[in-house]
Amino acid sequence: MFHLASQSISIAKPTSPLSNALSSFARGRRWTRNSNPFAYVRGYADTTIKFSRVKPHMNIGTIGHVDHGKTTLTAAITKVLSSHGAAEFTDYAQIDKAPEEKARGITINSAHVEYETDQRHYGHIDCPGHADYIKNMITGAAQMDGAIIVVSATDGQMPQTREHLLLARQVGIKKLVVFINKVDMIEDPEMLELVDMEMRDLLSTYNFDGENTPIIMGSALAALEERNDEVGARKVERLIQACDEWLDVPARDLEKPFLMPIEDVFSISGRGTVTTGRVERGVANKGDEVEIVGLGSTFKTTLTGIEMFHKELDRGEAGDNMGCLLRGVKREQVRRGQVIIAPGSMRAVKQFQAQIYVLTKDEGGRYTPFMSNYRPQLFLRTADITASLTFPNGTDDASERMVMPGDNVEMVCTLVHDVAAEAGSRFTLREGGKTIGTGIVTKVLQYA
Amino acid sequence: MFRPTSLRQSREFFLSTRFRCYSTSSPKPTLQLVAQLRKLTEVSITKAREALTASNNDVNGALAWLEADMVASGAQRAAKLEGRVAREGLVSISVLSAGNAAKAGLGKGSVRAAMVELNCETDFVGRGELFSQLAADIAHTAAFISEPVDSDNLIIPCPLDVLNDAPLISQNGSQAHSSSTVSTSIRDLMAKVGEKVSLRRAITLVQNPLSDQSGNLGLRLASYVHGAVNSAPQGKIGAIALLALKSPNLSTHFASEPFTRELERLERAIARQIVGLDTLSIRSNGSEDGTALYDQPFMMYGGDSANETVRTVLNQWALDRGLVKDQEEGGVEVIDFAKWTVGSSDVE
Repeated sequence: MFHLASQSISIAKPTSPLSNALSSFARGRRWTRNSNPFAYVRGYADTTIKFSRVKPHMNIGTIGHVDHGKTTLTAAITKVLSSHGAAEFTDYAQIDKAPEEKARGITINSAHVEYETDQRHYGHIDCPGHADYIKNMITGAAQMDGAIIVVSATDGQMPQTREHLLLARQVGIKKLVVFINKVDMIEDPEMLELVDMEMRDLLSTYNFDGENTPIIMGSALAALEERNDEVGARKVERLIQACDEWLDVPARDLEKPFLMPIEDVFSISGRGTVTTGRVERGVANKGDEVEIVGLGSTFKTTLTGIEMFHKELDRGEAGDNMGCLLRGVKREQVRRGQVIIAPGSMRAVKQFQAQIYVLTKDEGGRYTPFMSNYRPQLFLRTADITASLTFPNGTDDASERMVMPGDNVEMVCTLVHDVAAEAGSRFTLREGGKTIGTGIVTKVLQYA
Repeated sequence: MFRPTSLRQSREFFLSTRFRCYSTSSPKPTLQLVAQLRKLTEVSITKAREALTASNNDVNGALAWLEADMVASGAQRAAKLEGRVAREGLVSISVLSAGNAAKAGLGKGSVRAAMVELNCETDFVGRGELFSQLAADIAHTAAFISEPVDSDNLIIPCPLDVLNDAPLISQNGSQAHSSSTVSTSIRDLMAKVGEKVSLRRAITLVQNPLSDQSGNLGLRLASYVHGAVNSAPQGKIGAIALLALKSPNLSTHFASEPFTRELERLERAIARQIVGLDTLSIRSNGSEDGTALYDQPFMMYGGDSANETVRTVLNQWALDRGLVKDQEEGGVEVIDFAKWTVGSSDVE
């Protein structure tokens, strides 16, 4: 599933992703991930970009104390990279106000900047608070694949640095890069060793690789003001290099096993049953064996034909809107809400645990709280299933507990019908025609 | 938080060797001492180093220096952060005595509680242990120092200047510096987290047992905080409410354990109802916008009560428990409440 923030890859001011896409389009420079996330369309002779290679994309966030220089570092990165022609310089004032934006109807405060290195294209996110990062994770507006923890050399890690690392864990970040900022402001360079030591200790405490995590020491301000290159620009370059080398790019959608949610089913005389949908991930070739999963029935069949725009194709891939001709399948056997997948790559589930954000009434959500056993409609891909929400086992006074609009909660969803899902699958919750919440599966509790 | 790891041990070994060469040659603070001081106080590296330099690498001396420095530079720091916006944080409730109970122990039916709002700049700090500990301690202090007042208002604001100058009375009695006041504790926290921290508002509810000759009247305190990070009664939205019970045989009821349990369940539901719904008053003042508690469907009590109003459920509850007989006055009433949301603009 694609979302706006990751859809448009553009170098732009920190406005909403949509206007990013529009403004970069207007400038005649456009990459698109619509049909294929890693294909790009090059505009007219574009001198600012040297490399025409297809680069993997990843999102990284900056996390740190308000005064430790996150924004300065972000500005410095774009400054240093712009001298290589790989970013558009975005100054402090442009980044500083994490603007409000809407993703799936949810208000999130976050600033976006984009840049690229020789190896990768980066989306760079900065949110003011814990809650905003969590909303980002749940909605997938800008899923963080890695993060830069910014710590000032003058202060060292602070009590809230623990909360920063906990957050990184919670949103599923496996690897971090640490930037020790303001090194030109301390009298005794030896103190840097202490900052380094304390950070590595803390990283290990929170199950990150304390031993090997790259810790870069420099001054973002020096880089921004183009002075003292040794601690300035060189160190920012070193930081970006560390990101390239240490942070893992998430698997590309094309490399994942094939999955197409079924949107519609047709019976075409003389041919058989055709299902249509938009391929979420992976690649399927004509003649491949596939599995239909969900809504009470799971069976294997063969993909005897792929069709797009009324033309036959041999291959369909992530992003394609296509029709699949299925061998020996009757129209009644397949339904909207099921998925066509590479056999064995996903299973149908009946019950899972999920992290859910409940929309506020300003976001169009509920006005009142709900309690355990609340039963909204759960929309996962094209499936629409009644679900019952309860609190995880071991929750204190679960029977009296309430969930209010605006809450982030971990809940157990029990489905009336099974549906194909796995940890990381996103869904929305609706009631009486309006979206009241959105969530992400964190753990499957029961398979069908 | 430091945990022993092999990494850390090897580093400490490395540091301790280093420590020896420097301690003899120079008064420059060593990494080990700075690290030690930071573990004790959580001050910044720069401050820790400054303290050690000033006290000739004596940790106790440095601690004393830091304390003195807090007084000297604390105001300056606070002034620097003054202009910043602090709208995150916690509403924290402390209940020292919840009123009449089965085991009429200390206080014997008196009510003593406080609710405070402590703000900071980001929810990262707001979720932290240091911050929540201080918020709980300040609530505890407010509940502790307040005296019953002869006033029509049961829930009254606790003057912030009085509270700020009060010695901080820790709820778990483990406060190391017994000399610190609420305001110096806030200042110290600001030094540690580097964010503006401010005590925004505080209210207390302190009532002596009702001196009703017949013993027919009782008071109970209900409270709830929504959005707690840990199990402590602090979070994003909080409410305290005072319930009054009136019955000719009240003491018999309070002696019964099942009655107390059911009463507590009702109290929790009332407090949740106030927090969960848009509740502004107890009784309707004419408008029918659903902000009057008694007119709302009682969603939080469970069962079929979601179809009945709070008023109806309360009446029925009193009747079912035998507090009152048909047509009799009394039973259970909500007589006052206060509800706060962190960072809201509704400060009176």
